[in-house]
Parts: sequence; structure tokens; C-alpha cells
Amino acid sequence: MTVPPIDIAAGKVAAGARLTRDDAIALYRHAPTHQLGRLADLVRARKHPDGVVTYIVDRNVNYTNVCVARCNFCAFYREVGSPDGYVLGFDEIFSKIDETIELGGVQLLLQGGHNPDLPLTWYEDLFRAVKQRYPDFKLHALSPPEVVHLSRLSQLPVRAVLERLIAAGMDSIPGGGAEILVDRVRRLLNCYSKASASEWLGVMETAHELGLRTTATMMYGSVEHPEERIDHLLRLREVQDRTGGFTAFITWSYQPPNTELGGSEATGVEYLRTLAIARLVLDNFDNLQASWVTQGGKLGQLSLTFGANDMGSVMIEENVVRAAGAAYCMDEVEITRNVEDAGFEARRRNMHYEILGEPFFRRHAVPRFTALDVAREEGDAHVPPELDRYPARSRAGKLRQLPAAKATR
Amino acid sequence: MTTLQEIGTRLGGGRQLTAQDSEAVVASRDLLGLGALADDCRRGRHGDRVTFVRVQEIPVDTVEAGDIEMLPAAGEARISGRIPERGQAVRAVQRVVSAAGSIPVTGFALDDLAETSGWKPHAIVDVLAALKDAGLSCVAEARVERLPGPEWLEAASRAGLPIARLTVGEPAGDAGGVELIRRVAAWGGALAHVHAFAPLARALPAQPTTGYRDLRQVALARLLADNVDSIQVDWSLYGPKLAQVALIFGASDVDAVSPDDGWLGARRAPLAEIIRNVRASALVPVERNGRFELVQT
Ligand code: SF4
Repeated sequence: MTVPPIDIAAGKVAAGARLTRDDAIALYRHAPTHQLGRLADLVRARKHPDGVVTYIVDRNVNYTNVCVARCNFCAFYREVGSPDGYVLGFDEIFSKIDETIELGGVQLLLQGGHNPDLPLTWYEDLFRAVKQRYPDFKLHALSPPEVVHLSRLSQLPVRAVLERLIAAGMDSIPGGGAEILVDRVRRLLNCYSKASASEWLGVMETAHELGLRTTATMMYGSVEHPEERIDHLLRLREVQDRTGGFTAFITWSYQPPNTELGGSEATGVEYLRTLAIARLVLDNFDNLQASWVTQGGKLGQLSLTFGANDMGSVMIEENVVRAAGAAYCMDEVEITRNVEDAGFEARRRNMHYEILGEPFFRRHAVPRFTALDVAREEGDAHVPPELDRYPARSRAGKLRQLPAAKATR
Repeated sequence: MTTLQEIGTRLGGGRQLTAQDSEAVVASRDLLGLGALADDCRRGRHGDRVTFVRVQEIPVDTVEAGDIEMLPAAGEARISGRIPERGQAVRAVQRVVSAAGSIPVTGFALDDLAETSGWKPHAIVDVLAALKDAGLSCVAEARVERLPGPEWLEAASRAGLPIARLTVGEPAGDAGGVELIRRVAAWGGALAHVHAFAPLARALPAQPTTGYRDLRQVALARLLADNVDSIQVDWSLYGPKLAQVALIFGASDVDAVSPDDGWLGARRAPLAEIIRNVRASALVPVERNGRFELVQT
């Protein structure tokens, strides 16, 4: 009698053996959702037998929405010269850090568009200024495509760009911009030119060699096939085998509203299945985050049964998913309540997933919030004064820096 | 202690839950285990099928005010809101029935009707019979926590008017919610004319419930209330993501899908969305109307 492929694959998971591509596809395509959840939960419990679920108090800041990449799945970016385009000033970023620290926050997740008017020196100056004011505060900054963009803009190799950014204060790299690490898909999403699959992986591998830890992500549910999601996971697994530099994996569904690509969002069950298969394929990743910001608090909590051991970030601020219409919010109290309600202990962590302690709000009076903040109030189009110190590359930027334009500001 | 696996084996063999089994499922904190058990139970009754209904709500106080414009995609015209006095209720039903044409008209809460009738069983039978004569197809709901006992459901069946669904009006917390499910289970055969049970509270609690609690409630409802044909979730109240996951935790009927397909574009229209969500759960969507009759989509 032949054993069905999902039983073979499930047996491997139970025995702690590695899944092949075929095993993963069989489980992802055919295993009942409860079974996938059970297997993912088994692996989570093996890796985290203490019953602890972690989260980080940090702020998700998007320093600019101006971007030349024009990914067709993105609702966030504005073209160069757009009246809605913004660049945050250093002072604005400092006050966001102050607010974050008040809430027990330990880092910024700092990402933004590929703005041709922000040279490498702008980032170096910003990072240095942050570190000078807040020596212990961490910068989880610049996804691989942003690093590739800076490498092209400065005409320096990726390694040199990373070395300079690390010297200025970059502490780790977020795994954004991975989408699906298959070039066929990246071409369809118009994001191949911002970074091909191997460029994305190359930045991460170089960062790991330079001693940085990074995260990895996957945005699924746009134009890819289920097998390509598995290929994405396998590529991450290969790099992790070589470097061990990924701290965590986060997956979320493509958010179609307000994008050029359009379409409809993958469903909640697909999210739970995708999270579960990621837990099974990524056997060399310790941590999987729940994406409550795209799935809502209830599915965010259910993620803890489908392989996740981390509730991600309190966020405080969010701009990218909101631009696509989703507006979920969980403050630290709410995250803790959901974690404990699911039968786990909630613990604050840092970017390296080291435990910092019990929930901050249990020992400090912190304000509750029911909506995430935004980078800038709508209609606020002021140009930060320090931008004039950096020579603009775009025509709109150059015009803005003409003496006559400066005088009218 | 009886395990969920043992219970599953017994249920698979066509047996019913014993009192001891019921205690074991209520005591279990194994959400996936409960979900899998409830899913088996649900598949035993309905196979892969998930029914859904597109509902146009018509607030009772707007009925007298002006013209009623029905959306042609609606499968149910539901008169919502607190019951006015009997004559007004009958007139409201007549007006909606004449506007709705072939679309079944439902409305009102049985507990409200009972209250307006002074909780007198013979009076409520009269009211229900009058509403039926006016063209009402079903009483839209009966709130479990407000009904003193099954005799009120029996009164509705004496009047020949089915109850579309038992609901939970006010949030009762985890233990309170289980108590309400047990109460429904204890009403036994009085539920012969009740189509569905929606175990998640309709009023929002001060503190939102969690995904775990909601799904546990759905699964327990399916496992304990075996005297109800369908466990129902509300698409608009609980949102597509939770409602979809509930379909693999014991729910088999989806209420309150919008009949208004116009404003989101065809790919994100409610009909396309519900069909996509049901299929993505490896289930088969089937549209029904307010009388629980299947319709061609
Ligand atoms: S996803 Fe990032 S790189 Fe692509 S357009 Fe949006 S901001 Fe630019």
C-alpha cells in the first residue's frame, strides 16, 4: 500500500526531519487546515517549550514616501515631485523616538521609498544624530531594496554601503521588499528592477557576514503560484543554513486597495495555512511573527496556534498597510491580553529576540491608543530644512533647492 | 479523562456526545482539537456545503416613512429594530412584503414579541399568526438569554412560523456563553422549527472578544447543540476573516452578506468575496434565501 504524500510529509515533521520541496507542496496544497496547524504548533512548541510569546515595543517609521521604484502592488509611494510626497525631518524623527521611549520602546523600524534626493550621507547623518542623542536606542533600518538603491545612487558596492551604514549606527536590517523571491513574479510586480531575488538575498547574506542580524519576509497573494511561495521559503532556508543570520520570518498577504495591480486579498484561512507551512519549511528559523496589522487582532492571536511565537511589534505608527486601507491597531495592553488569552506568557523582547521583561505597562503608566499614528498629518507638506544640505538628484528636488524656491518657503 | 480523540472516534461511529464527553469538550483548551472535532461534526451533517444569504435590512421605523427600495440581489428582506405595537408590526410586514415581491420577508425578535405580548403564550401565538398572515416567512431571531424557556419556541411553531436563528444578544463572557449553548442544547426537540444558532454575541462587549474565544464558542455550539441544524456566523458583524475561519470550526451557514454589489467593483463585491472565502476553505458555497431554501447563483 502506498503512503499518501501528506502522511509522509507529516511523518517527517513529527520525526524532526527536513521537508523537501515536494513534501512542502503536498502539505500546503492538500493537508487539512487543522492538520497543518497541528504540525506547525508541534514545531513551535518544540522550539519554544517555555510557552512564552514575545513582542517588541517599537515604532514603524517611514522616513519618505517618495519612490522611483513604482512597484505595482504598493499603495504607499508617491512619485518624485508629487504634492503628497514627504521626507521626515531629523527633528520629527527625534520626537517620534521620544514618544516611543515613553511607551517603553527600544527601536525604530525605519524604512522608506527610494527617494533620489536622499543620498547615502543623509542616512549616515541621521543615524549618527540618532545614536548621539539616544545611544542605547536601536535602528532596525533599510530593507535590502533600499540598500541596493543606495548602492546604485552612490555607485558603491553593497558591502561598502552596508559598512558605512553600520559605522553610522545601523543595528539590523528588516526583511521588507522580499515580496516573492522568484524573478518571474518580481517582473510581474514591477519590483525586479528595485532588487532581483538574488540581489535581495545577496544584501542579507552580506549583512550577515558583516555581523548584522536581519529578518526575512514574504508578501504572498498577488500573482504568484503556491509553488513559488514554497520556493521563496526554500531560498530563505538555504541562506539561513549558510549564515544563521535571520532572527525571524514574517509573512503577510498582499493588500490590494489603492494599488495599480488591484485584485482581492488572500483570505484568513490562506494566511493561517501560509504561516503554518512557513513554520514547517523554515526549520532553521527560531521565530515566526504574527501579522496582526494585516490580519487583525483575532487572526493575529490565532496565528499563535498556527506556528507563530511572536506578536511582532506594538508599532505605534504605520503608514504602508494603512495606505492600502487596513487600519488594525493593538497597543501593548491588547497584545498582552491576546497572548495570555491564548494560554501563553507575554514577554517584551529586543531585535535579537532577547527577553527584556514583562509587559511595560504593568510597571509604568502608559497611555492607551486605539489607532496607529501616521508619519505626517495629511496636508503637512513642509520640507525639513536640513534637506537643503544634500544635493538633490531629481529635477523636482533641484528646483526646490533654487534660491528663489527657498525664499518662498 | 476522556480525550478529544476518543470523543472523535465515538462521534465518527455515529454516536452522540455523552454528558461526560460534553464536560470534556468544555474543559478542553485544545482549540485546534475542538475545531477539528466540530468540523467533523459539521461535515457529518452538511458535507462540504456552506450556505449563505444576502440580507437587506429594513429598519422598522423607516417602513412607514417612505418607499422601500429593494435590492434585486437580496435573498432576504429583514425588518430590523424593536417591535412596535402589533398593528404597526402587521402593517410593516404587509408593506415590506408588497415591496419585496418574491424575496422572503423576515423580521423581529421572538423575545421582543413575547415581551410586547406580556409574556402570555396564547397572546404571542395570536401575534405570530397575524404576522404570518401578513406574509412574514420567519421570525428573524430569538435571543437565547432573553427566552425563559423552550415554550416560546413551541409557541412559534404552533403559529406555523419558523425561527430563522437563535442568537446571543448581549456578550455573556466565556463561561456565560457556554451556559447559553448548554441551554440551547437542553431545549431539545423544541428547536425543530429553528434553522440555525448564531452563538457569537451580537452586541459588542466593552472589551473585544478574541479569536480564540470566538472560535471556541463556535466549535462548542456545534458539538453541544446537536439539536440545531446549522451553526451560523455573521459576515458583516464578525468580518470575513474570522467568519471564514469559523467555517472550519463548526459553522455551516453565513448570515448578513450584503446584497449591494455596486460599490467595491466586481472582484471585491460581497458575492465574489463570500464565494472566494468559502472556496478558499475547501468548502462549497451555496446561496439560500430567507426561508432557507437553496437558490441558484
Ligand atoms: S514597495 Fe517600497 S520600493 Fe516599491 S514602490 Fe512602494 S515604497 Fe517604493
